Amino acid sequence: MGQSELEESSLMLDEKLLRCMEQLELLEEKRAALNSLIEQGWFSMSKARYSMGNKQVSALQYASEIEPLVHVHTRTLDNNEVEFCIERVTQKCNNESGKDVKTVEDIGPQEEGVRRRIKSKNNSTEKEETEKAGSERLLTKTEPSEVVPVIKRDQNPQQDPLKWFGILVPQTLKQAQSSFKQVIELSAEIASLQSAVCTAREDLKLSMKQKCALVEKTSAAQLDKVTD
Amino acid sequence: MAGRGKLIAVIGDEDTCTGFLLGGIGELNQNRKPNFLVVEKDTSITEIEETFKSFLARKDIGIILINQFIAEMIRHAIDAHMQSIPAVLEIPSKEHPYDASKDSILRRAKGMFSAEDFR
Repeated sequence: MGQSELEESSLMLDEKLLRCMEQLELLEEKRAALNSLIEQGWFSMSKARYSMGNKQVSALQYASEIEPLVHVHTRTLDNNEVEFCIERVTQKCNNESGKDVKTVEDIGPQEEGVRRRIKSKNNSTEKEETEKAGSERLLTKTEPSEVVPVIKRDQNPQQDPLKWFGILVPQTLKQAQSSFKQVIELSAEIASLQSAVCTAREDLKLSMKQKCALVEKTSAAQLDKVTD
Repeated sequence: MAGRGKLIAVIGDEDTCTGFLLGGIGELNQNRKPNFLVVEKDTSITEIEETFKSFLARKDIGIILINQFIAEMIRHAIDAHMQSIPAVLEIPSKEHPYDASKDSILRRAKGMFSAEDFR
């Protein structure tokens, strides 16, 4: 009875160990992919810096308003393992959210409506104008309030970070961005794997302790038999 | 998948932060607090440690990416963090390639096969 229990426990321990090894192997593979992608990203960024200028790709270009385009969703599984999942805000969503944002009315080129200037009274002789002309002037005075300034709606707070560095950025900067996007995806996978490895470690520790206790119990039982 | 989801934070050199911000992880919240720290030559270890701890305390951060050479400076703080969320990922930097033997998680996993770990 004790022997079969011990065998069963050993088999389970082996199985857990193999699973853990597989996870570690996968983690190493993903790590290597992540490292090479980051390297590629830096290389592309350096190329972009070479063509744009040394100070044109730096922290100085970060926008004053930064909205995240990537979110991580976490889910705790039954065995306390945490799964990380990346969700990217799509451009379509951006436009929809852009409509809801309260726009701040700025002066200057944002207003596209044509305004008619109010003619000021040049001199006192105009007082003698006819009643008809006076009513016309009244109309012109009320007109500017009727002109609804069209505010550009395409000012998106969740704009592409690529635009921080200019409108016509080199292709290499776009390549760097795509590399880092892949790195972000991979980092979520690695975070999940790290969590799995940690859980497996705890599980293995517990199983090992249980096996040790079982071994002690079996050997004590065998000793009792021998003494009897 | 309901809800807004968490953020990814970065502590790294200028190129690492710029790269990840290009990828779209950056955020400046209502208190103008960023989810990234650009570590320059004159950035103190205390500042790095405080930022790391503030990221750990924030409920809206799911993953913290940190350059391994910076992680080495605050190793005690990283080793002390045992929770799964936020996950701490050590990444290479331009001057310092990734060394698996220094990684906190892999060192813990390595300990799995030592006799001391099972006591």
